[in-house]
Amino acid sequence: MSASSQKPWPLLGNHVLAKTLMLLVLLVTLLPLWFAFKTALMHPSVLFEQASDLWLTQPTTMNFKRVLGGLSAEESRALGGSGAELNILRALGNSLMFTAIIVVLQLSSAAMSAYAFARLQFPGKQWLFAAFVASMMVPGVVTFIPNFVLIRDLGLLNSMAGMVAPFCLMQGFSVFFLRQFFLSLPREMEEAALLEGASYFTIFWRIIIPLSGTALATTALLIGINSWNEFFWPYLVAPEASQQVLPVALQTFKAQTPQGQPDWTGLMAATCVAVVPVIMLLLLLGKQVVESLQHTGGK
Amino acid sequence: MSKWMVLCLLCLSALPSIAVELKYALWDANQLPAYQHCAKDFQAQHPDIQIKFQQLGWGDYWTAISTGVIAGTAPDVLTNHLAKYPELMKNGALLDLGFYLRRDRFDVGIYEPGLFENWSHKGEQYGLPKDWDTIGLIVNMRMAKAAGVTREDLWGMRWNPQDGGSFEQVVRKLSQDKDGQRGHEPGFKKHRVRVYGYQNPGPGGMMGQTEWSHFALSTGWTLQSAPWAVTLNYADARLADTLSYLASLADKGYSARFELTRSLGAGALFMAQRVAMIPEGSWMVNYFAHNARFEHAWVPLPIGPSGLRATLFNGLADSIWSGTKHPEQAWAWVKYLGSAACQKTVATYGVVNPAVRGLAQESRAVLMAKGVDSSAFLEMADTRLSRLAPPPIVPRAAEINEIVGNAIEAVLIGKLSAAEALRRADKKVNELLR
Amino acid sequence: MHPKNTQSAGALLKSERWYAALFLLPALLGFVLFHAWPMLKAMQMSFYEWNLLQAPKLIYFDNYSRLLSDERFWNGMKLSALYVLLNIPVQIGLGLFVAVAMDRVTRSLWVKTVVVMPYLLSNVLVAMMWLWLLDPFLGWVNEMITLLGFERQAFFGAEAQALATVAGVNIWRHVGLVSLLFLAGLQNIPKTLYQAASLEGAGEWQLFRHITLPLLRPVMVFVLVTSVTGSFQIFDTIAVTTKGGPLDSTNVIVHAIVQSAFSFYQMGYASAMAVVLTLCMFAYTLLQMKIMRASESDLA
Repeated sequence: MSASSQKPWPLLGNHVLAKTLMLLVLLVTLLPLWFAFKTALMHPSVLFEQASDLWLTQPTTMNFKRVLGGLSAEESRALGGSGAELNILRALGNSLMFTAIIVVLQLSSAAMSAYAFARLQFPGKQWLFAAFVASMMVPGVVTFIPNFVLIRDLGLLNSMAGMVAPFCLMQGFSVFFLRQFFLSLPREMEEAALLEGASYFTIFWRIIIPLSGTALATTALLIGINSWNEFFWPYLVAPEASQQVLPVALQTFKAQTPQGQPDWTGLMAATCVAVVPVIMLLLLLGKQVVESLQHTGGK
Repeated sequence: MSKWMVLCLLCLSALPSIAVELKYALWDANQLPAYQHCAKDFQAQHPDIQIKFQQLGWGDYWTAISTGVIAGTAPDVLTNHLAKYPELMKNGALLDLGFYLRRDRFDVGIYEPGLFENWSHKGEQYGLPKDWDTIGLIVNMRMAKAAGVTREDLWGMRWNPQDGGSFEQVVRKLSQDKDGQRGHEPGFKKHRVRVYGYQNPGPGGMMGQTEWSHFALSTGWTLQSAPWAVTLNYADARLADTLSYLASLADKGYSARFELTRSLGAGALFMAQRVAMIPEGSWMVNYFAHNARFEHAWVPLPIGPSGLRATLFNGLADSIWSGTKHPEQAWAWVKYLGSAACQKTVATYGVVNPAVRGLAQESRAVLMAKGVDSSAFLEMADTRLSRLAPPPIVPRAAEINEIVGNAIEAVLIGKLSAAEALRRADKKVNELLR
Repeated sequence: MHPKNTQSAGALLKSERWYAALFLLPALLGFVLFHAWPMLKAMQMSFYEWNLLQAPKLIYFDNYSRLLSDERFWNGMKLSALYVLLNIPVQIGLGLFVAVAMDRVTRSLWVKTVVVMPYLLSNVLVAMMWLWLLDPFLGWVNEMITLLGFERQAFFGAEAQALATVAGVNIWRHVGLVSLLFLAGLQNIPKTLYQAASLEGAGEWQLFRHITLPLLRPVMVFVLVTSVTGSFQIFDTIAVTTKGGPLDSTNVIVHAIVQSAFSFYQMGYASAMAVVLTLCMFAYTLLQMKIMRASESDLA
């Protein structure tokens, strides 16, 4: 298959094969989303007969109304829902807030400390940096238990502050990643600025930060994805409905079942609403997201 | 001195009365409207108390209660379960109601027998009964008719662990393969089944409330000799025979393999009309009335080798969290929840059988008016016809649940023999309880 | 390293230290409060019996000796390791495959965006979608399987399939990202290398074997490092789908620890399990660093 190929890199020399593979990949990626969407548009009463049809016959927006709070508990119970309260918009708001706070605070604090590690001299630097890096290896579950006790003692359970606390100041990876990047920057400008009497803060703010756009964006994206994903910690410290972030709200809603079976149509409608911000992000900043993510492995 | 006292009283009465907010937790969304109704009536009588509801699904509910107790943010009053309260009580999370009961001369004789006593421990009282439940069978009557099974057949079923008795005859008739052959006919293809006759809902943890307890109890087997007794009798041959029997139904194609039903549960298969008959609790009557869009009926569980039907006789209660800042108000609310007045209101919703004697009939009448016949559950609760046993009341229930649940799961998927799995579980459990 | 011919080196150093302290303050606070202190606390707790409600009781090494003979703990460690072994090779293999295909047929941003999207959806959400698709009776996948004439599969419900199913779901979520990383690596390889080699008569497979693969090694190492430690801590998907079952067949170590802590309320014992897990992770990381260092030389 390869003899006639002009392309110098091998495997899947045959374009037809490569194209088929790509189509398959796209299909496998998108099909689950289509089924979530289709299920969300189904009336609960036809779920059992038409669950696995590829198309749907009588779409209804009722499930979306239900999870967006447009129907009363009584009405949704009558339609086959569990009658459980789910305010997906509120959860979405909480999630966005949770993510935004962590991204802003963790990024600032990581950039500052990464700069100190990359450029400044102070006693114990090597040790401290090693400790920061080592903290990446500690499984989250170890610190969850004492952290839970700490947040309880601080009276921060069921609050945004309690949810963001362990993430907003320090995560080893962001410090590590930014330090590596800062080390790769040329020093000439900084040295010239120092000679002119600029403070380290000015250098950090006026030289380092403007030069680090991509690295900062990549770090922000990674922090954002991780926070958006965070499930167990918020579940533990903020189970109350008013504070729930998306993954917690989805799981709570799933567990709201009079018997074993989840309220699938409602759950899938909630899932679809939860996907919207991600799709928006990709539509608006797809290029940047792709490039930022590719950038993480570039080193 | 009296001058000061008058002054003080004046001051107090002049202060605007600030309502005390009580947090009340329950897990069943179906029952929420009934208790909200009670809360409205209660607040009318006690304008100084505001009830705030917190409703979470079963799994999350107990996580939230435990973390709430730990965190000092638990609900003031909580709906409690017999399998769960010993642990909470042992950790000092529950308030002893004995003092209030004596002070207010509360008549505890108003409840159905046994319900109040389940919540007593060494003269202390940790809950006031709110309802009771038993198990029954729900049958797809359209399928029953098509199979030639009558209501009388269903009410008269007998069961034994050897050949399944007339119960199994019915299950066979209800089972049907893709070609329309029925389970009792010679050409029945057990690998190509369209409708299963009966579905065991799952392993059922430590008590098998809707799973195996009723069959096992109908053989004369007893799990716990009395509440708080420190041995549990899992190693009994009668229990092993019962479980072997239930596992064998899947081998014969009359039930779906357990692995396939694990995520959905029997209820969903019944709703999808893939199963003709399942055991369910009385608390589910309302749910099926709303959601099962085909003719269905509730019938009592079969008569066992002991000559009686059998069921767990479980009951929920309301408890007060020991950390509440408003014990007096919490007690006032619990007292109202446990009163005939509130339980009468609850009866009109037909969602549970109230604990106060005689109100279950009212609840039944309400359902009857909606076209739902729930008399099977009253038959199940009739001690002349049915053997009633309380769920086991022991500490460390979470771990026991895990051990026994896993053992029974191993039996259902055919990994271990029932006798072997139960022997091992029995040993572990009784070591824990020692 | 520093500008030497400035006013007073001592004063500068002093101000440098002062600035360093300032720059480090927030991160240091976070490190001490939420990483170092809880780690020490966990070590301390592991010597106690404590259910969070009653006073902790000092029991010295009892938790550790119990752990040695605890089936659940060892089963959890074994399952986590197995999970990594199921997950990583497939992720890397498939990711590489997709990257090569992408490199061949498309530069489209759209394709890249679609491919990376699953990674942006949360674990919980992804788990729920697949729980629905793989349901034995209602799921579309099983409908297809029966249409093709096979028997229904339990997936999450079968002891033999559950862990692999969880791995599959995570592969679905990650493979796009991995392939993008490889793609970036592929596009960094100078085309002249291939041209030169093919002039010398190297076949396609040889080109791939001797040029592409070695030059992709840094990406490979990155993927390996980040996904091994991540996979070893798999929890969310399991909490949503199988809760450790059936029959503990997905009760991976993190799930077992959480179960001990927040279902059985054995904080001391859970801490002991967690401490041992941490030690294992450290040992693994050291080993990995050693191996990587050894391999660095032949890359140059």
